[in-house]
Amino acid sequence: MKIFQVEGTLVATARISQLENRRLLVVRERGGGRQVAVDPVGCKEGDWVIAVGSSAAKDAAGHKDYPSDLTIVGIIDYWDDTQPKAASPTVRATT
Amino acid sequence: MMIQRVVRDLVTTKRVWGLQARKLRVVEDAKGNLDVAVDPVGAKVGDFVITIGYSAARIATGNPAVTTDLTIGGIIDDWSEDRWR
Repeated sequence: MKIFQVEGTLVATARISQLENRRLLVVRERGGGRQVAVDPVGCKEGDWVIAVGSSAAKDAAGHKDYPSDLTIVGIIDYWDDTQPKAASPTVRATT
Repeated sequence: MMIQRVVRDLVTTKRVWGLQARKLRVVEDAKGNLDVAVDPVGAKVGDFVITIGYSAARIATGNPAVTTDLTIGGIIDDWSEDRWR
């Protein structure tokens, strides 16, 4: 699972029927690019979330035939974006 | 399978049903990229672990219904920072 921050909702009226009427969100990975994820949880803009890929994305979105390759599975209760590196037990040389 | 290190615990109260009440850990790879893994082993912060990805991750939790794409498979007894980076 990867950690993402929710940027906002995505509206796509004309869509394939298999996508059903699920909520789609634009999410951004830490220091990475934008992606679109299915949201069965109910996230708000700015929330830090975890999302699965692989075959788990299909199941997490509802059923195993759902065509999703990225599905949000949980909202992180507390996330300080500066914390992970500071929590590392050893100091790493800057590259 | 990959060698990763546990960075911190992760709490998500609001989650999909498929994730059940599984323990989650933030892990990093040799380049410092972060990932989140289900932890059926009980790894602590700083432990070097092997992680299993893709659909095998679901089998590794002991229940293929768990919706995960990364699961900790074991804690490495002897691994050092120098061998890793």
